[in-house]
Amino acid sequence: MNTTRIAIASALAAALALPATVQAQGNMEKCYGVAKAGKNDCQTAKSSCAGTSKTDHQNDAWISVPKGTCDKIVGGKLTAG
Amino acid sequence: MLALRDLQAALAGIVRGEDQPRLEAAVIGDAITAAARLRIYRHHIEQSLTTALAATFSTVQAIVGEDFFRAMARRYVAGDLPCQPVLAEYGAGFPAFIAGYEPATSLPYLADVARLDWALNFAFHSPAANHLTPADLSSLPAERVAELPLALAPGTAVLRSSYPIDRIWRVSQPGAADETVDLGVGGVSLLVLRREDDAAFVGLSEAEEAFLSAVERGETLEGAAEVGFQTGGAFDLSTTFARLLALKAIAATQHHFVERVEKAL
Repeated sequence: MNTTRIAIASALAAALALPATVQAQGNMEKCYGVAKAGKNDCQTAKSSCAGTSKTDHQNDAWISVPKGTCDKIVGGKLTAG
Repeated sequence: MLALRDLQAALAGIVRGEDQPRLEAAVIGDAITAAARLRIYRHHIEQSLTTALAATFSTVQAIVGEDFFRAMARRYVAGDLPCQPVLAEYGAGFPAFIAGYEPATSLPYLADVARLDWALNFAFHSPAANHLTPADLSSLPAERVAELPLALAPGTAVLRSSYPIDRIWRVSQPGAADETVDLGVGGVSLLVLRREDDAAFVGLSEAEEAFLSAVERGETLEGAAEVGFQTGGAFDLSTTFARLLALKAIAATQHHFVERVEKAL
């Protein structure tokens, strides 16, 4: 039996010894939750109205500057232009 | 009069921001001109899709702010209209788009954060499925288990970034503590998982990432274990395997298939 097979046999023995209720250890980041579940709904009245503008957006990709949590990220510098 | 197919193609062109004089000619205008009526369609679709992207890529929006996000999302929408009706499944190409979006080049980690947002979204919307449990394993001899092709459970994904996207994600959540992230701490490997009514991620060591990437490719337990041992770092197969079973990260289907085949023989 090679060393990988030996490691597998011992890993399986360890897994079988786990209590059924064992919880995942480690730092798990909980992320989403049910609050996002309904996002495939139709638009709300408010955003539907926002979408009915008859004038085009300015092409503001280049005049828009990131203004969020990026200023918390050191080295993620902002470019004004 | 345009054929329906041409009419639809022309309307898609309007949504992408093109001029469609034949479609304009086909639309009746009165107090509101035909062109203005068509712009209403464009803006409504643009608005709906950018809002869907903001919901899916909420961390990206938190990082760049709403104005920048909307400008970037509008540009993406114009080039990649949905091919299916589910808004939560729209945006698969957005991370790659961000990687090439010049106004965001000052934020080199942004595309990887988008990949994390997308993986979490995918995990959240994945169906509940059976995962490999210790009880499943007890029904087979160890040599058979070693030869089982493994697979990740539905919604599970391995993500590697050269940037600390886990920390970036954390400081960008609503109500996060006012702390900074130093990009100099380097990259990270993450395992994204489906949870009950939720999605989550955990950090992975280099060896664990190598092991799981092998599982993702459909390697057997033995093949994946060998990949883990070959990374050179400390790789404790027993701890890793127990952790992955507890996280419900490994799919059960292959095993059940083999079990059924063996029972049938």
